[in-house]
Amino acid sequence: MAIRGDYMNEASSRIAEVTQASTAGFFAQCYELFDLPPLGSMIKCRDGGNEIMAITCNARTSSLEPGRRPIARGKNELTEEDVFRSNPQLEQLLKSEFEAVVIGHSANNQYHHYLPPRPVKLHSFVYVCSPDEIVEFSRSLEFLTLLAGARTELPSEELIAACIRFIGACHVEPAAFTTLAGKKLAQIFTDDYQKLRTILLRLKL
Amino acid sequence: MSLDLNRVAGSIASMASELALQGSRRAEALNAALSKYYDPGDLASLKQRLARAKTSWLVAEIPGSLNSRFDPPPPPADYRVLATDGSQIDIDRHHPARCCLINIGSVSMQYGQNPGSFLESEPILLSKTDELILKPEQGTTGREVSIEGSLLGIKRTAEEFRFLAALAGRLQPGFPALALVDGSLIMWGLTSKDIPDFVVDIMLDKGVLKYITQIEKLNSSHPVALASYISFPRSTDVINLLRIAVCPYQIPDCDRFCAGAANGERPCDAVDGVNDRELFWACLTEQQRSDVFISQSRISKTRYGCNLVYFFYLKTGNEIARVEIPEWVALKPELLAITHSLILEQCRKGHGYPVALSEAHEMAVVSGADRQNFFYLVDEYFTGYKLNTSASAKSTSKKNRWI
Repeated sequence: MAIRGDYMNEASSRIAEVTQASTAGFFAQCYELFDLPPLGSMIKCRDGGNEIMAITCNARTSSLEPGRRPIARGKNELTEEDVFRSNPQLEQLLKSEFEAVVIGHSANNQYHHYLPPRPVKLHSFVYVCSPDEIVEFSRSLEFLTLLAGARTELPSEELIAACIRFIGACHVEPAAFTTLAGKKLAQIFTDDYQKLRTILLRLKL
Repeated sequence: MSLDLNRVAGSIASMASELALQGSRRAEALNAALSKYYDPGDLASLKQRLARAKTSWLVAEIPGSLNSRFDPPPPPADYRVLATDGSQIDIDRHHPARCCLINIGSVSMQYGQNPGSFLESEPILLSKTDELILKPEQGTTGREVSIEGSLLGIKRTAEEFRFLAALAGRLQPGFPALALVDGSLIMWGLTSKDIPDFVVDIMLDKGVLKYITQIEKLNSSHPVALASYISFPRSTDVINLLRIAVCPYQIPDCDRFCAGAANGERPCDAVDGVNDRELFWACLTEQQRSDVFISQSRISKTRYGCNLVYFFYLKTGNEIARVEIPEWVALKPELLAITHSLILEQCRKGHGYPVALSEAHEMAVVSGADRQNFFYLVDEYFTGYKLNTSASAKSTSKKNRWI
């Protein structure tokens, strides 16, 4: 999977802001409508000099106001873009947001693949991780244990498989990384063969 | 139980059955009105009779034709629509804080090659004496009045126009624009005898009309039309005009000729019982507008000057709307065309109601919960400054609702 070039520099890699946070995860609202990070991609927030790393899941675009539901507007429009061209207010009335599962953090210039001592702060900026950061963080696969235990609306098999595919694409040898990840999953899911099989099928090993 | 609907249901049924009985009578009146609308006879003589008639009702003046109808011109490729709307929290006389709040929603939407939008709400707190009390200028007479109740509503309307003029002032020249407000351009609230003249000066001359004129002046660099939109209007200005057309007396004079006649017995009652909305629903096709008429409202005729209020009816598809425009829009074909085509476009995008007005309303609206939170916040700051926060006994009793 290709990493978007403009995510590489600091300013353009800032995509969202935390709107709800707990130790194990957080919700974030994107600055640009529909500019959602891909499922299973790696993001980070700052916490003083340290960083909190997370994996994205459960993205959605919906009305900013709970009482106002979007309605169909494109019956007489030629393209989907025309719907937004004819209704320029929509960009101000909708929001794109996503959930993130915390998979580790950095402290003293070192990555730790377990939960940080504190949750991210509300209104923390959310950055997309660079491929170098992703490769560095995923030298240890212990974060898969946290991901496997995460409680999200999404089936954990889908989330884990998407994450491994995303991180694998950042490695020079994706197949080698995926094989290592598969072995780690075999340790995690020793008593749940069905779940392990479902994930492996999604990794095309 | 606070309201026993079972006990009022019988009265509601009687009301509905009475209206149903009036159905055939209303259909006859509508047919009579339509036939006079299509065939009013000599228009010049009708205009003369209108000018000399003495009636107790508001009669539309005909500047052009009576029964012309117009299809919409195509909308410009690039254009902007502006709209403002307002809400208010009135002074709560049971609360120790004497203050009120006006919340203005502003919307600016650019359509065409570079679409974009700007939506904002601006709350304005009125709490200082000079903000809450209107006084006559030195040397003039009149008692001072407090801005609350209906006068707060009038102040809110003036603020809506102030924000609309500010939005219009920020427009980049180059594109035609339409500035929209909800409701009437005619400040009916100021026609009450209870309103002192100096208040009319402040709210109308130095308020609404000043801002409308500011928008008019922008036309030196690019076309900017202004209109107010009345959904589901109940006005009868044109029907009243047709009453004069059917009146058998050369110079209609209600007091002289029909003072003793009961309702239903006067000759003009043949077209009574329907309103302009029903008339134009029957005679306009979708997207058509009527010709323009001039409102004969006294305040418009005597004080609005070059902003004299004209109006036309428009079949948007879902309903007949009354669109009120100042004279400088009515007399300039380009501005009239923008008003017609862009209001239709706005209604199409807004599923029957101009989308800019509906978004301005959404930005402005103050819900019951907002009102409660506003007073909680006031209480919190009052407590912080060790001010009295105790409400009236009546208000406390209503909140607690003990048995």
